[in-house]
Amino acid sequence: MGVTARDVMEKGFFTVRQSTPIPEAVRAFQDAARHLDRRVFGMAVVNEAGDLVGMISMYDILVLMRPKHIHIWGEMDDIDVSGFISESLDRAQSILVGDLMTTELITITPETHLLLIVDILTRKHIRHIPVIEAGKMIGIVHISNVFFYLMEKDPHLIKDGLSP
Amino acid sequence: MPIIDVKNMLSELRVRESMRRIAVSIQTDTSIEQTIRSVIKHKVSAILVMDKNLEPVGVVSKTDIMSAYYAGVPIGYPAKLIMRSPLIVCSPGDSLEQVLNTMSINRIHRVYVQSEQPASATGVISYPDIVGLLYRYCHRCPRSIQRRHSRNDSGDWMRVREIMTPSVQAVDEEETLHDVMERLSELRFGAILVTGGKVPAGVVSKTDLILAYKHGLPTEASAKSVMRSPVRSCSQDEEIAKVIRQMIYWDIRRFFIYRGDPANIVGVLSLSDAAQARSGSCRACMPSRIEVL
Repeated sequence: MGVTARDVMEKGFFTVRQSTPIPEAVRAFQDAARHLDRRVFGMAVVNEAGDLVGMISMYDILVLMRPKHIHIWGEMDDIDVSGFISESLDRAQSILVGDLMTTELITITPETHLLLIVDILTRKHIRHIPVIEAGKMIGIVHISNVFFYLMEKDPHLIKDGLSP
Repeated sequence: MPIIDVKNMLSELRVRESMRRIAVSIQTDTSIEQTIRSVIKHKVSAILVMDKNLEPVGVVSKTDIMSAYYAGVPIGYPAKLIMRSPLIVCSPGDSLEQVLNTMSINRIHRVYVQSEQPASATGVISYPDIVGLLYRYCHRCPRSIQRRHSRNDSGDWMRVREIMTPSVQAVDEEETLHDVMERLSELRFGAILVTGGKVPAGVVSKTDLILAYKHGLPTEASAKSVMRSPVRSCSQDEEIAKVIRQMIYWDIRRFFIYRGDPANIVGVLSLSDAAQARSGSCRACMPSRIEVL
């Protein structure tokens, strides 16, 4: 029997509204990480009706926070990074999740085969794919879900004691 | 950074050593909304427009987007409707003096760098890039303000008041975004001070206005509803080097300058002012000055 998205997806996922200001979204990343007890790299973005409209990742937020001319400045030995996030967030008050999110979405269904998921993740350079059923998001597949599922199912890795 | 090690005169620097590579561009059919998204995310003041063959055809700046908001252009329309064409370009071998001149003659804030391959834009150089170079040079200097340890070294440091724009324009917080946009384009400013009861209350920049456009705010909304506060300000007696450093580090385009009391705003210092002053952070240093043509 083929393994599909349904077997590897996480049903407990966090979403963030597109109308959420960026500083709040950053806190949502923190909260989600605390609840799930692992680092959260990306979150699904929903509209007021709860429909999936985009994805936002730490990458999107870091692109915004990065000092644009820092490579020109060059010398940074005397720059202190403590307080970097709060200072950057202070300036991002009026920017909303909807302004930064990726809207060109790649989604899969619960029936998408695991190897096809591997193909999509690698070819599109993405780390998570929302799983959609009847127009609603029912789960998310992270690259780690796929990787560890494949490892755990490998008899050689188990035999050699490499299984986690 | 190796460039400054081999060259001891900033005025010998060429465009290819000071430009930034272009990281983000849009296509001719990209919507205004998507353009705003790219401009905000990548913190650029303008974005290059490419045709289907990836040849640059024009540029859309925050000013152009603001004009579209002012004119009530629907946000779903393609950005090519508001694009400026043709591009103003320079070559990688041009000197910084030439670029600064091109910018001031054309009254633009950035010049795209066209490589030897015709019709391809590989980089961009803008005022903040030039300021960054000037201050990197200063940082290397043994007399640098940022390395100074001894308290009694007073030095002949340049102060903000010497290069700031010594006047200030303001709008009242109850004025509409429509009015604010009129003032900004009339003054050719990137941002304007907002006062409430004659006291500085906040700042409205082009960035705030294009965000308002994207968030669907009517242009009849008040300046108060989009302004950022508190006003980022510093004393006119502050050392330029320190202020520029903060501007570059935090991507702040301008500081409002006060004299004595912080509520007494007397001028503005922008990265463009600093680049146009073409000087380093102290008078002792002639090599860092780019010669005015």
